[in-house]
Amino acid sequence: MDKVQQEVDNLYKQQFGKMVASLLYASRDIDPKTAEDIVQDSFSSALIDWRLQGIPANSAGWLYKVCRNKALNKIKKDKRLEPLTEKLDQGSVETRFSESVLDDQQLKLLFACAHPDLSPKAQVVITLKYVVNLRVEVIAKILGMTIDGVDKLLLRARQKIKDEKIILEEPHLQALKPRLSIVHKIIYLTFNEGYKSSGGKEILREDLCEEALLLNKALMDSHLSNKETAALHALMLFNAARFKSRISASGELMDLENQDRSLWNQELIQLAHDFFTRSQGEDVSTYHLEAAIACLHCIAASFELTDWKTIAGLYTRLLYIHPNPFVELNYAIAKYYAGEKTDAFKILNELQGQSFLNQYYLLNMTIGKFHLLEGNLLLARQFLLKAHDQTNLGKEKDFIGKMVNKLSDPK
Amino acid sequence: MLIVREDLERIGRLSTEVRFSESPDMTDWIRSLVESGNYIGGEPLAITGRYVTKNEVLSDGPFIESKEGISGYDIILAENLEQATAIAQTCPMVMVGFAIREVRPIQPFISKDPEKHI
Repeated sequence: MDKVQQEVDNLYKQQFGKMVASLLYASRDIDPKTAEDIVQDSFSSALIDWRLQGIPANSAGWLYKVCRNKALNKIKKDKRLEPLTEKLDQGSVETRFSESVLDDQQLKLLFACAHPDLSPKAQVVITLKYVVNLRVEVIAKILGMTIDGVDKLLLRARQKIKDEKIILEEPHLQALKPRLSIVHKIIYLTFNEGYKSSGGKEILREDLCEEALLLNKALMDSHLSNKETAALHALMLFNAARFKSRISASGELMDLENQDRSLWNQELIQLAHDFFTRSQGEDVSTYHLEAAIACLHCIAASFELTDWKTIAGLYTRLLYIHPNPFVELNYAIAKYYAGEKTDAFKILNELQGQSFLNQYYLLNMTIGKFHLLEGNLLLARQFLLKAHDQTNLGKEKDFIGKMVNKLSDPK
Repeated sequence: MLIVREDLERIGRLSTEVRFSESPDMTDWIRSLVESGNYIGGEPLAITGRYVTKNEVLSDGPFIESKEGISGYDIILAENLEQATAIAQTCPMVMVGFAIREVRPIQPFISKDPEKHI
């Protein structure tokens, strides 16, 4: 039996029933027979596609994605629904039908990977390997590590966990709650890796972001989560909503100022809002604050109309809980656009003084850009060129290059 | 605290430029620690300084000749000593064998007067 057939058969055994049940749960308009047909269809597609393209990194995820799309198409085609209900239903399928079926075993594994003795990077790597089931080569590529580096890390991590006799001899799920904050961090860092540039030509790794969202969704469905989990989910969705606008049609990197806001996914923004509301409670975590900031960006009609003042205030609170030079940089940026330019420059200059931040291209790029806006062309050139040297990413270099060109031709 | 220990005699002979250009790049390591919320701060230290004891002040203390003298430090936040150690193991300078990291938990200071608020 060939590998593809084997993989499909295994997944069929594990997932067929769950997928049908999930579809029925997700949409009122799909009856059991149709649900079964759709799921069956997805497996057939897998068989064909994987024979041609190879088995994908996350094969179950692939199945769920395809199944979800088939379901959405069916809903769109069949029903004469009111536009409102149709939207609701689509949204429902989007959110409720996902691979939110990490079973108990996988959840335990997720918490096992959140071992406090491991470095944060090791926690992420081991989760990507054993919970998300990515291959070592894929993990290495995404995180910008060598395959050897990943192997070493996995070896050490497995050793440590084995020594502690923790792996898979999991205590009852409830006893794992204290690890929740570590699990949150793993998911957050995974999403971040996918969202930011990861070296080389590609700048966004949507797949990794999706994985993070799926993990978090599973967490919420498992009743092990708390309001922080919901806040984290809102944060990730607000960011994911803006994906399509981050790279222009010509392949350029677009910053927040220049992103085409009509490309922002309003459904995801609405969904993010729902989770954000759900996350409100007594405690305000860093995820709550970051989600609030992301929210303010998402609801702003334009860059200029953004509520920079409130955003700056939120950053102040964030810095109080979690002092961090990157956050400080964003704080300075918010202050600048809120009109408090002296303060903004003061903070930026202080950041410049820190030895490692001095090497950070985004800081120098920001200072350069602000000087450009203020008309200090010499200073602008100085900082922009410095930033240009400090990044290896093609897209970032192009972006900075464009600004430098503006210097010789200010319009 | 992650104390960096290096061959100070070797570094002492280099210009500051060469000292840092020859060392592996630390920025990505620090950046990832900042992102994961573990980094608090840190600096490299100059090789020349003063050695102050009860009886004298030296500008060439025994530390100058040390093969494992203190050349810098970083302060990180970690769940426990194990995690701090795991983080230290990934330090680029350690991985190429240029330096040793001594991992010492920062002890809360207990004032003599138990009524004083710390």
